[in-house]
Amino acid sequence: MRIGLVCPYQWDVPGGVQYHVRDLAGTLRGMGHHVEVLTPAEHEESLPEHATFAGRTVPMPYNGSMASWQFGPVSAARVRRWLREGHFDVVHVHEPAPPSVSLLVCMIATGPIVATFHAATTRSKLLAAWGPVVRPWLERITGRIAVSDFARRVQVEHLGGDAVIIPNGVHVDVFAHGPSLPGVTRGVDGPTIGFLGRFDEPRKGLPVLLDAMRTVVRRHPDARLLIAGRGDAAAIDELIGSDLRAHVRLLGELSEADKAAFLRSVDIYCAPNLLGESFGVVLIEALAAGAPIVASDLDAFARVLEDGAAGVLVRRGDPAALADALCGLLADPARLAELSAGGARAAAVYDWDVLARQILAVYETVLPPGGGEVTLGEDDAGVSFGGPPAGSRRELASGGGQEGPYSDIP
Amino acid sequence: MTPEAWILLVGVLVLLLVAWTAWTLVRLNRLEARVDQAWTTLDTQLQRRAGLAEELARSYPAAVGEDRAEYLAAFAADARAPVDGDRELAENLLGRELRDLPEGLPGIPAALRTDLDGTRTRVGLARRFYNDAVRDTAALRHRRLSRLLRLHGSRPLPRYFDIDDRLDGARGGRTPPVRAVADRPYDVGVPPARS
Repeated sequence: MRIGLVCPYQWDVPGGVQYHVRDLAGTLRGMGHHVEVLTPAEHEESLPEHATFAGRTVPMPYNGSMASWQFGPVSAARVRRWLREGHFDVVHVHEPAPPSVSLLVCMIATGPIVATFHAATTRSKLLAAWGPVVRPWLERITGRIAVSDFARRVQVEHLGGDAVIIPNGVHVDVFAHGPSLPGVTRGVDGPTIGFLGRFDEPRKGLPVLLDAMRTVVRRHPDARLLIAGRGDAAAIDELIGSDLRAHVRLLGELSEADKAAFLRSVDIYCAPNLLGESFGVVLIEALAAGAPIVASDLDAFARVLEDGAAGVLVRRGDPAALADALCGLLADPARLAELSAGGARAAAVYDWDVLARQILAVYETVLPPGGGEVTLGEDDAGVSFGGPPAGSRRELASGGGQEGPYSDIP
Repeated sequence: MTPEAWILLVGVLVLLLVAWTAWTLVRLNRLEARVDQAWTTLDTQLQRRAGLAEELARSYPAAVGEDRAEYLAAFAADARAPVDGDRELAENLLGRELRDLPEGLPGIPAALRTDLDGTRTRVGLARRFYNDAVRDTAALRHRRLSRLLRLHGSRPLPRYFDIDDRLDGARGGRTPPVRAVADRPYDVGVPPARS
């Protein structure tokens, strides 16, 4: 099958959507399909083979975080050329609602279009107002996918559609097998607890974990905390304080391979996040690497950890509860071994091989009987860049509020 | 305002209305094609499922159990051509019968099992996409102006197709089943009228 993937965010900037598109493209290629990617990038030369440069983006706030804006005749011309030369059986756009190459593809292409929705913030006035404006083009999408219940909810509430849920993926094998970090072997070199992420962002919850560590080292004097990720080391050093300094090691930012080794090495992976993570891919990576997990009880984390069956959930922002959970696990080797062994099973449903097959089933479902390829739309000439057509503007004025008959979520 | 200004204003309004109407007609046409195609796909998958159920009942009555095979064949035939015209009810009965087959289907060739599994997933996907297309059509047609101008002409409003396909449950149960299906109640043990 000839598949065109569209990534709306700059390829050389780290981000969940970019990784998703990269891994999906790789997996589908491994299955023998021809995959082309259209994506903006900061530096055109950073793009791999079979990826087409779609220009640069302008950052703008969208749905609670920074998204990128990319729109206009130049980008549209690039989209047209990519579609014309690609001869795709299906195009698969990601996050098509904000103004981006993904939306442009929806406006220009005619034929089977699949879209994946990633964003999960439900309360957004901007999105509520914007949904009706882009509706005329989003209704050209033939198959909608959401990466989580939360992303589907955005779809149902603001964009007036439904979606099948196919989660984010992980290459389980990459995390399951390989070397450990030198000097840190699980179950051998004294108990280690791992933390991964921007450690100077309070919402990642490192201060809570550091507080909990004070209790942990009292009961397990040889316990160590390994912190991986970017951040301001000087600022965090103050939080660590003299009493913990001997027990904490900063590893800095890790490469993908080192991240996998890190997750294979730690005795417990801890995710003390305080606020909305929409999905928690890192927890799946930790599961795949066989790391027992202690995580805060965010909805997305509880989902991945099967409500506590595949890992330990603790109340978010509660250092005492976190310390109890960590100490309890460290004192219970049988439970640690059980969690470690069960991780691969829990991660298996998120393996890219499994998910790519589900996504292929979606492609096959939207293909017209007898085939045909994605073309430039016959009414393409009507797409103007002066603004939305009159009808949409009226929709915007009327406040939107489209409720599908399936608005079954309270 | 001078009469010229009035004429200009009315002219602009009429132009806007014409532009909006033309644009909405394009959208309606496109949606109609989308609904048609989505229905073709859904119908194909449902027929395929009925065909597989018939094959299962015909060729492997011992593996599924004689009683069950009889029901399966009857439900499959009813799904292909519902006696009382209620396709959704017939498909629900067949789907339920297929779900109740023994776990792992021992004694049935792997190829047929894979086909059954794949068809079940695709029925779910096709139904979701069809209903999505119907919903988009309904949303546009229920706008005040498009109702007022009767832009849909004489075309009937497409119907939702509601059956219980357990799409999310079938996927390993990690996500709670989406309560999108207004499942109609039906009597469990009653086979279709003709059997």
